[in-house]
Amino acid sequence: MVRSRMSLAAGALLMAASLGLTACSDSGSGDEGADAKSLTLWHYEGPTSAMGVAWAKAIELFKASHPGVEVKFEEKSFEQIQQNAGMILNSDSTPDILEYNKGNATAGLLSKQGLLTDLTEESEKRGWEKKLSPSLQTTTKYDDDGIMGSGKTFGVPNYGEYVMVYYNKDLFTKHKVAVPTTLAEFEAAMDTFVKAEVTPLSVGGAEYPAQQIFYELALSKANRAFVDDYQLYKNKVDFQGPEFTFGAQTFADWVRKGYIAKNSAGIKAEDMGVAFTQGKFPIMISGSWWYGRFASEIKNFEWGTFLFPGNTLHPGSSGNLWVVPAKSKAKSLAYDFIDITMQPEVQNLLGNNGGVPVAADTAGITDAKNKELIDNFAKISSSDGLAFYPDWPAPGYYDVMVGGVQGLINGSKTPQQMLDEVAKPYQDNLTDLGK
Amino acid sequence: MTALATAPDTRTESKTSPGVNRRRYPARYIVLGVLLVLLLLVVAPLLVVALNAVKSPSDYASNGPLSIPKSLHWDGIVDFWQRVDFSRKLLNSFITSAVVSVLAVILSVLNAYALGIGRVRGRVWFLVFFLVANLLPQEVLVYPLYYLSKSLHLYDSLFSIIIIFTVIQSAFGTYLLSSVYAEFPTELLDAAAVDGAGRFRTLWRVVVPVSRPTLAVLFTFFFIWTWNEFFLPLVFLISNANQTVPVALGVLQGDRQMDATTTSASALIGILPAMLFFLIFQRTLTRGITAGAIK
Repeated sequence: MVRSRMSLAAGALLMAASLGLTACSDSGSGDEGADAKSLTLWHYEGPTSAMGVAWAKAIELFKASHPGVEVKFEEKSFEQIQQNAGMILNSDSTPDILEYNKGNATAGLLSKQGLLTDLTEESEKRGWEKKLSPSLQTTTKYDDDGIMGSGKTFGVPNYGEYVMVYYNKDLFTKHKVAVPTTLAEFEAAMDTFVKAEVTPLSVGGAEYPAQQIFYELALSKANRAFVDDYQLYKNKVDFQGPEFTFGAQTFADWVRKGYIAKNSAGIKAEDMGVAFTQGKFPIMISGSWWYGRFASEIKNFEWGTFLFPGNTLHPGSSGNLWVVPAKSKAKSLAYDFIDITMQPEVQNLLGNNGGVPVAADTAGITDAKNKELIDNFAKISSSDGLAFYPDWPAPGYYDVMVGGVQGLINGSKTPQQMLDEVAKPYQDNLTDLGK
Repeated sequence: MTALATAPDTRTESKTSPGVNRRRYPARYIVLGVLLVLLLLVVAPLLVVALNAVKSPSDYASNGPLSIPKSLHWDGIVDFWQRVDFSRKLLNSFITSAVVSVLAVILSVLNAYALGIGRVRGRVWFLVFFLVANLLPQEVLVYPLYYLSKSLHLYDSLFSIIIIFTVIQSAFGTYLLSSVYAEFPTELLDAAAVDGAGRFRTLWRVVVPVSRPTLAVLFTFFFIWTWNEFFLPLVFLISNANQTVPVALGVLQGDRQMDATTTSASALIGILPAMLFFLIFQRTLTRGITAGAIK
């Protein structure tokens, strides 16, 4: 009795709470706070990461151009922002500008609740839009339902990210393997390693890396319309269609042929990276976020990267966004700060520290390796080749994808079964959205 | 488990029959061996943390987490300390834990005095209520607490955390102490009444001194539990200046990247205070547990 009444009360409170959230989310916008004397700024990048270094410089530049304004910078934890952004931005402890995750479930949700400032006008006026390619802009715009791709601009990314192939040059030379340019050549290269009893791919099946390989394979048969259908719900997606069938089938084949070790189903992303760093595997397919770390930590061999052979579409997107909370007390200062982060000086610094700047001047990038990284990104970005990530379309889809691909790795599911399994939550989400 | 069960056995037998003593010795070594293995199992994760805390990132990258560090590398700990202003977090954690455990013990005593000794009407229902409140997951409480603290202007303040945890801990304390006080020797209470002590005097002069060992145990547990709380402080302590130790450790957990050596360094300095506190109060703990058994 007591218990049911308690939970009823808790439920009622929760209802009231969520009603309150939507009710008090209205707030004025406009060019307020031009005379503010301080700018509270939050981000969650480590001080030595590319973004951390570049943004420290941006803060310095901001102080120089805004004498008399105090910058209150706080380094936050990813988890704290991820879990509580809605509550924080609805309270009086709001920062004036913060880094926040792109995507429907994060920036999209907050924009829908009215907690973020519409940046459309500023973005046009200050020319941020022109610096971002169409596939980068996708994650900055959210419609009234909080779905990305169209509508108003709510955030500005400084950097991009994409999935590529990292390879151990020493092992490639040792086994006389050339850098492949087509999928067939790539498979032939991996066959060579298997014959020499070397498992070619370092894969973390317990986390995001495996599903990105699966998606990469599906993308090799896909075009932009498929990505729009899958990610932006433009049309219905057939999970048994040629793209996903090829992805799942080929992934299963790769496991069968020994390109992917059976035990990788339980490997975490961190261990995947460390295993590659130790030179235990010749190839690793993962994102640009490893780049800076490999550059500083791989000492025992030469390494390089190439784009997934044969693909025009690659998993990847803009990085996290600068957003301005609706309750920010120094909006125009926040706009000035965003403007500084888009300047070549800051962008080049980001590039020279192993990051992927969105608006760099490649002439200003001194390191040859970083230049390759940024050139490859420019190649994908300019041909509108960023296909986002497989777990984006539905809430909680990440775990579904991990489970599905793990099934393929340990052979407990056929490709057909795996696709049926991942199709269901996707369709359920569409139904929830009323599409 | 088996080791714990057999250990006292051998001791009592060796006392009663000294002749068997020598033949029983191998059994003692087996017990010792099993205990050592158990100890190793418990200590192993801490050892790995300690190993990686003093390892340089490149050493970790090339030799993995289980290797012995090539040289002692203290930079991880020092950098982390400065990066998050760890002294401040220690102070915050210490203040909240200390205040919460003192207040929660006082509140528990007052409640339990009424429920266990005072035997107020409907005390069973009170206890059931406290038990249910205890079982409620914190996730359920978050939104109501968020709106309450916001309207009281206590959001992003240590006071909110102190109030919340005082209530949560004292719910458990009340539940436990009430059953202890229900068994309280009535002779003592009667004697106090004969001497003309009022209710407050009885509580302060008789009940509290007699149950002091139990209260010390509660105090220690409340302190350590509050120290280790992560979820509610994460939600309620927004400014870096207000954060507690476990929240500060979260700063290293990135979106996709994790910095294993610095994380270990932070974990090490994060658990040290709680372990120190435990070691200091370890004697009160054992005394408190045995106190009931002797009487």
